[in-house]
Amino acid sequence: MSTAARPVQAADQEVCSLRVGDTQYAVPIARVLEILGKPQLQPVPLAPDFVGGLVHYRGEVLTAISLRRLLGMDRAPSAQDVLVFESAQGPFGLLVDSVGEVLSVSAAAHEPNPSTLDSCCQGILMGAWKLPNRLLIALDPERLDPMRLVCACAEPQNGTHEPAGDSGSR
Amino acid sequence: MPRTGATHLKFFRPPTDKPSVDELTREFLLESQEGLDRMERGLTELELRPADAELLAEIFRSVHTIKGTTGFLGFPRLESLSHAGESLLVLLRDGRIRADSDIVSELLALLDRLRGILRSIESSGGEGEAGLEDRVMIGRLEALQRTAPVAGAEAQSAVEPATVAGTGSAARKGSPARKARKPRRGEPPVRVAPPGSQPGPAEAGPQGIEQAAQPAREEPKAASGGTDAASIPRPEGAQPANGAPAVAGEPAAADSTLRVDVELLNRIMNLVGELVLTRNQVLQATSADAGFAPLGRRLDMVTADLREAVMKARMQPVSHVFSRFPRLVRDLAHSLGKPVHLEMEGQETELDKSLLEAIRDPLTHAIRNAVDHGIESPGDRAAAGKPDEGLVRLSARHESSHVLVEVRDDGAGMNIGRIRAKAVDRGLVSAARAAQMSEREILQLVFLPGFSTAEAVTSVSGRGVGMDVVRTNIERIGGKVEIDSQAGRGTTLRLRIPLTLAIIPALIVRSRGQNFAIPQSALIELVHLGAEEAASRIEWLENAALYRLRGRLLPLLFLDRLLRQPAREAAECDIAILNADGRRFGLVVDSLADPQEIVVKPLAAVLRETGVYAGATILGSGEMALILHPGAIALSAGIGLTEEAPEECDQAAAAGRDDFLLVESGNRRTALPLETVLRIERIPRSRIEHAGSRAVLRFEKELLPLEGEIEDYDNPEAPTNVVVCREGGRQVGLVVSRVLDVAPGSALQEAGTGTLSTGVALLRDRVTEIVRPASGPEPELPEDFAGELAEARI
Repeated sequence: MSTAARPVQAADQEVCSLRVGDTQYAVPIARVLEILGKPQLQPVPLAPDFVGGLVHYRGEVLTAISLRRLLGMDRAPSAQDVLVFESAQGPFGLLVDSVGEVLSVSAAAHEPNPSTLDSCCQGILMGAWKLPNRLLIALDPERLDPMRLVCACAEPQNGTHEPAGDSGSR
Repeated sequence: MPRTGATHLKFFRPPTDKPSVDELTREFLLESQEGLDRMERGLTELELRPADAELLAEIFRSVHTIKGTTGFLGFPRLESLSHAGESLLVLLRDGRIRADSDIVSELLALLDRLRGILRSIESSGGEGEAGLEDRVMIGRLEALQRTAPVAGAEAQSAVEPATVAGTGSAARKGSPARKARKPRRGEPPVRVAPPGSQPGPAEAGPQGIEQAAQPAREEPKAASGGTDAASIPRPEGAQPANGAPAVAGEPAAADSTLRVDVELLNRIMNLVGELVLTRNQVLQATSADAGFAPLGRRLDMVTADLREAVMKARMQPVSHVFSRFPRLVRDLAHSLGKPVHLEMEGQETELDKSLLEAIRDPLTHAIRNAVDHGIESPGDRAAAGKPDEGLVRLSARHESSHVLVEVRDDGAGMNIGRIRAKAVDRGLVSAARAAQMSEREILQLVFLPGFSTAEAVTSVSGRGVGMDVVRTNIERIGGKVEIDSQAGRGTTLRLRIPLTLAIIPALIVRSRGQNFAIPQSALIELVHLGAEEAASRIEWLENAALYRLRGRLLPLLFLDRLLRQPAREAAECDIAILNADGRRFGLVVDSLADPQEIVVKPLAAVLRETGVYAGATILGSGEMALILHPGAIALSAGIGLTEEAPEECDQAAAAGRDDFLLVESGNRRTALPLETVLRIERIPRSRIEHAGSRAVLRFEKELLPLEGEIEDYDNPEAPTNVVVCREGGRQVGLVVSRVLDVAPGSALQEAGTGTLSTGVALLRDRVTEIVRPASGPEPELPEDFAGELAEARI
């Protein structure tokens, strides 16, 4: 997996920092279409676990991915912000606890994922930038595309199957 | 350039990794593609009317335009190919040779080649290598020119325009070939010629006979055609003269229309959707302010008009899709050796652009099926006493809020026995079950995935992908597919397509505080169960829940369990009785909200895979609702087909049982005949206005007269329920305090006099008044409203 890929080749890069739990993450600001502050979220029963719900975005219904669920954390206790990204299938959202500031980070401070990272995280993280007092973990929006997640993060998701018999069925 | 010139109205697929093609070239590609579309249409018609001057001119123009522009833009491959085609077409146009099946085939092949090159230019910017095939094709086109009976060798290259015009009109008057070989009635437009059939002279034989047989009828037509042609200056004569590429020959209509990027239209549509939501919020926020009310209403109307206009802009006639079928049928008929005639009807019927795209493939498939499987071989047809030539009829027409597209063939019909055997063979149903199934159910089996009855896999169809794909595609856009077949008489496939993809009427229901939308098309009726009824009236057969509906057991599904929502205490609930393609079941939901016209938004693929949702929508309140897919729910729960369902309903109606909407008006419980109810609106009091002494509601650009007592008059915020009823072309609003339920009932007797109630019915074992709006002195309500209602009751 080309961990130290594309986003870190430029000497300096603008990233948007975001927080989930106590951890700071960052995505290249150029990839962010829009940030929605605490929008109303509509849950989708039977959806794969990582789908946080639906968000109304410019007249479209946007599927929002829950970063918390992707990282194996509990659902957020309070309303979350949504980052909107573009994918080949159209825009999608990423639910995070809060969106922080825009930072300028240098490629020199970046290091790839450690080999000890579990496979699911390997799929969505792209190393980290070493800030003076903490790590800023790089997310790859490309790999957060819901369709890719279905294939990549493939612990068998329940919910894509018909429900256990409540009636009528044999 | 990130997203410029994305999906155009025609031909061009969304760009994937498109290299930049400059504006001029893009324009050229569009022009040429349209030209080729016209040419394709023209060529298939040419077989029917091989001497139609206008048709030939049209085809000539398309090719000539491409040739002219390619020289200019520097695409040598296109230029040499179109030049060869043009040379042949000059001879045809001048009547020096006749278009026979060979020539048409070759020109169609040329057309495909040109299209391929255009596509290559679009995707890669270059026209690709001019290979041996090009030279072979050019050689064949030239050879066809030489077979001409009266060909002059110099006719190879483009003739001087003046000469063209001269010889053209001369030929129109003089040459016998010009005495249009009008098709006899029922003469096949698609003729299957044996491969390599003799050109020109040999064909004169049958043609001569035909002419001799009908000289009197043919002559005047040909003559008048001739004079027309001579007196009206023809564009094709003028065009080569000025030598201007492409655009010069376009009809004047082009000046008043323009091409719009579909992307852009979609965006406008979305923005209008946004505007509608904002409008709703503005109306809510300002309803208290008297000064804002007229402004708000104005905003309301403008928004509604705007939405309508944008929807209209997205409509296209179905001919955009139909136009490719004559060619398709012709080619199929050739390759299968069956003469087939394609009849098309209702081509001007309009449909939303995206729907048009969506029915393209299913329809193609259906037509292939009709020609390949439907129409028998000529031998079988003769044995069955049918005309040699098979008939496929493709028609489109409006039917209430749908467009009905029909593909009908006069073939052998579907073999019920064979379908049954095949379904058992493929393990789709058990033998025992198959034996019990009715004909209608058996026919439905062809829609199951992996079903195909073709004995032999042909190049055309019979690979096991088939009707299931048609059905899935049509259902995806909210349509329905029906199949009808009569042994020996043929098969009819009906596609029922909603007028627009975007907006459907739906009922909003709630489950655990969440909204879901059920498309009205699947909804039959609603049953409300109180808390104790919910416990007693739902019966169980092991783990299958059932409800006794008019004496019959109806399987029930619980929406909350279906969606694995948290369980709750038994409480009052509603049963939405649904019919999903003949599968009837009751869906138990927590409560009902309003019926609404909803704008369907697509769901991400991840969510479609759950198989329960057909889309999502944004409600007026800004909340979202998932749209349930009754068909998929029924299938996954194993709900079987309900055979006698429609008859049962009819009988119920015939026996004087009707459905009523139960309402509470004042303190009285009353009922409205359901068939007259259009919808129920909940509006703030402030929207009710007065025209003279009469309460009215401005509603969808119409003034809706209101009946009934308006409570709580002074509070402008108070919600008012208005039941909108239909009366012929008119609508009347009934103000009620509460809408209770829908219930079946039978009229007991006519009672009461002129005012509010005329009938009494037994509903829910309670005697209930049937209300109709009083026919007062106001002109808005004609007398016959009452009469009609009373009639409906008896």
